[in-house]
Amino acid sequence: MLARSQVVTDSQGKQRRLGKRLERGGEGEIFALRDRPDVIVKWYYSEVLDKRGEELHRKVEAMRSLRDAHMTRDVCWPLIRVFDEQHRWIGFAMYRARGVKMSFLAHALLYQRYFPGLDRRRLVGYLIRFVEIVQQLHEAGVCIGDYNLNNVFCVPSSDQVTLIDCDSFQLRVEGTFYPCPVGSPDMTPREHQGVSFRHTVRTPRSEAFSLAIVLFKCLMLGRHPYDIVGGDDPVRNLRRGNFAYGRGQREVPQGVWYELWRELPDTIRDMFVTTFTVGADAPIQRATLAQWHAALSDYRDALAAGKHAVRLTTPGRPQRTQVLHAR
Amino acid sequence: MATYRLNGDSDLIDNPSPRCACMLVLDTSASMFGPPIRELNAGVQAFISAIQEDDMAACSVELGVITAGGKVTEQLPFTTAMNISQCRQFTASGLTPLGGAMELALDRLEERTEAYRKAGVAYYQPWLVVISDGVPTDQWQAVSARARTLAQQRKLVVVPVGVEEADLEALSAFSTRPAKRLDGLKFREFFLWLSASMSRVSASSSTTDQVKLPPTDSWDSI
Repeated sequence: MLARSQVVTDSQGKQRRLGKRLERGGEGEIFALRDRPDVIVKWYYSEVLDKRGEELHRKVEAMRSLRDAHMTRDVCWPLIRVFDEQHRWIGFAMYRARGVKMSFLAHALLYQRYFPGLDRRRLVGYLIRFVEIVQQLHEAGVCIGDYNLNNVFCVPSSDQVTLIDCDSFQLRVEGTFYPCPVGSPDMTPREHQGVSFRHTVRTPRSEAFSLAIVLFKCLMLGRHPYDIVGGDDPVRNLRRGNFAYGRGQREVPQGVWYELWRELPDTIRDMFVTTFTVGADAPIQRATLAQWHAALSDYRDALAAGKHAVRLTTPGRPQRTQVLHAR
Repeated sequence: MATYRLNGDSDLIDNPSPRCACMLVLDTSASMFGPPIRELNAGVQAFISAIQEDDMAACSVELGVITAGGKVTEQLPFTTAMNISQCRQFTASGLTPLGGAMELALDRLEERTEAYRKAGVAYYQPWLVVISDGVPTDQWQAVSARARTLAQQRKLVVVPVGVEEADLEALSAFSTRPAKRLDGLKFREFFLWLSASMSRVSASSSTTDQVKLPPTDSWDSI
């Protein structure tokens, strides 16, 4: 493949030099913009542009028409059209997200390295921000669709959360529907399993299911809700609503996981149990974003008031913390 | 290969990452003597270092090594990459009991995926990489059918690689994908490709989907 030209232009024809390549993704590459460390450029691969360039361009333009101050701050939203030297549209410029991928937060063995001193207050703070950002998007008619912990950035020294890779989001603008064509079965509710993502219409209820998996993975330091001892793979367990925690608990993996679960407030545990058992099959039963926001806010207040253990249990060294509320 | 395993299998308890088991079956027969074995050793070292540089892959990839050189030797039982401390150099000698080595590799993979299921650990499709510069000198037809069936059922990714005068036809019989011939002794390039592939797999949030792998043009030849 020929090296790409390091110069791009904006819609006024003004030339900009690209800096270092930062990422190679499935659809394109992310470059830094020289002299503007806070701005990055997504440049779609030429084969992607040949195949779906017009469709992508239309979607990105629709996204640009939706932008507002909140989205620009919390989501790496497409801001500026970018062209190559032949004036062909090749992608867009956006602000660069700061922080560390949420997948390093949701990992029992890695979180301490990437989020030194992380405790439940900080963890719950990130989750509240995450729910708020998704709520804002929903109000604008946008769905995330492809929930992926690698696409959520958290700043270790504050509660700042930013979403990236937003050109896959599902949106409806002026009567036109733009699907989220990607996703992962491990994060997808049952009603959308086995259907091409390109033909899937995400709803607030389907979003609530995937969002609950993200919350569970973070609060449980990396465990997937459908990891089950002696069970099938997480996707098969998901399709059956086979959730090990809650009642019975015989299939919970060995280790600190049950302890992490037990330390969660009753309300949050009940919401997970309902969402991942009966809610797997009945979208109406799933906890809503507003309910998650309220429950997490109460949890944050209870942590601040010393009613729950703030410290996170660490694998290998289970610490039996004193929990002040009795079940 | 001298290694130590931190806490033994407590890793399956404490580490929540979905696993990608990667078994290397390496021909270390006498014909590999000299530069080939030297480059193979360097390649394996580079592979381990590259995986360890990527924290997600280091928590996810479990590496096993079996050599076929005179006899079949299990050099490294499945160990999570983050827990591999060092590795000894392989030496080249004897015939190529590749059939026996593959048989052992498939048994170990089966045991490992069973251990994942028992522990409630999710896993990606395991990988079996076989590298040889010749022809198996033992029975290999039955085990090649076993490996190919698993590959057809998408329960295993089998990557056969031929070095120099290798019999690509025999190697291809182990997989649904044709064996590739290594360009000269570009073991290092091959193993860097393998680590990049492992990084992609372990970054995937899907344990069931196929992952698009990086191009192989850095190491294969026509």
